[in-house]
Amino acid sequence: MKATSTRSILATCLPAAAAILVFGTLYGAAARAIMGVPLTLASSLLIFSGALQFALLALLSAGATMLPLVLIAVVLNLRHLVLGAVLRPRLEGSRLRRAALAFFLVDETFGFAVAAGHAAERAGVPAGAAIERTFLISGVICYLAWLVGTLIGVLGVGLAGVERVAGAIFPVLFIGLASLAVTRRSHAVRALAAALLTAGIAFALPDLRGLAPVVAAVLVALPGGER
Amino acid sequence: MSALVLGIIAAITYGSRAASLALLPRAGARFEAILARMPAPIFAGLATATLVTGDRALVDGPILWAALGALLLSPTRSLLFCLIGGAAGYALGTLAGG
Repeated sequence: MKATSTRSILATCLPAAAAILVFGTLYGAAARAIMGVPLTLASSLLIFSGALQFALLALLSAGATMLPLVLIAVVLNLRHLVLGAVLRPRLEGSRLRRAALAFFLVDETFGFAVAAGHAAERAGVPAGAAIERTFLISGVICYLAWLVGTLIGVLGVGLAGVERVAGAIFPVLFIGLASLAVTRRSHAVRALAAALLTAGIAFALPDLRGLAPVVAAVLVALPGGER
Repeated sequence: MSALVLGIIAAITYGSRAASLALLPRAGARFEAILARMPAPIFAGLATATLVTGDRALVDGPILWAALGALLLSPTRSLLFCLIGGAAGYALGTLAGG
């Protein structure tokens, strides 16, 4: 089976999509009471960012006005600049194509795309096409999972019992993706340093937890040299 | 939240995604070398961030066990094995009472 066949991409991203569906359901159920049905559905349709949408809910439930809502959107979206910059040299399509793909840039799809690139390089096939295909397919699947989950939540179907299981998917997924991205010993050292730094930031400044991984990654990637 | 605020936030979110992926020029060679070193640290950081709650505490025991299971199998450099390790860890953590 080719590393970037539709089947292999589906097999890789479906566990994450299932977890996203569960969290979408939780979001839909919680947001309906605060934002109403139309805005809840519109938020998932237009924003497609679990971390941001849950943060917005928390602020809205605390009575926040427009300014804090916009500020939290700016802060939490800063990481997209870094994720996009990492992915940009690996995508071969036109600017218009990349602009269309950009909507699907979330942590999970970024991870799947980068991992597909590494797999293609190891297999000796062009990485650009594999990355773009994986990014698109995983993006559509994760987006649909988020939308369907939100809709289920809005309709009032409870999935609270599986929330804990779904919560375990993400750390496992990102550990797996980190292991795929480690191709040199120095990568492993930097990954370990980033994990420790992220933990430090998350414990010291819990409100910046969403930004901590990117800040830590930038800091540990700056020193030069590869081994 | 009004539809206007939602629209502004959606625009900020998409703009942040499109900016570096489609609008800004490609980075120089030196900067790209730094960017190439970032995926593993980003994923390690994301994994860590999912293990810490907003109350400065660690997540529930089974989730930690799941992460440990995945970590133990991470030298295989296989996402499937990491998922299996995570599932086994979660099951063990649940059996052990968290």
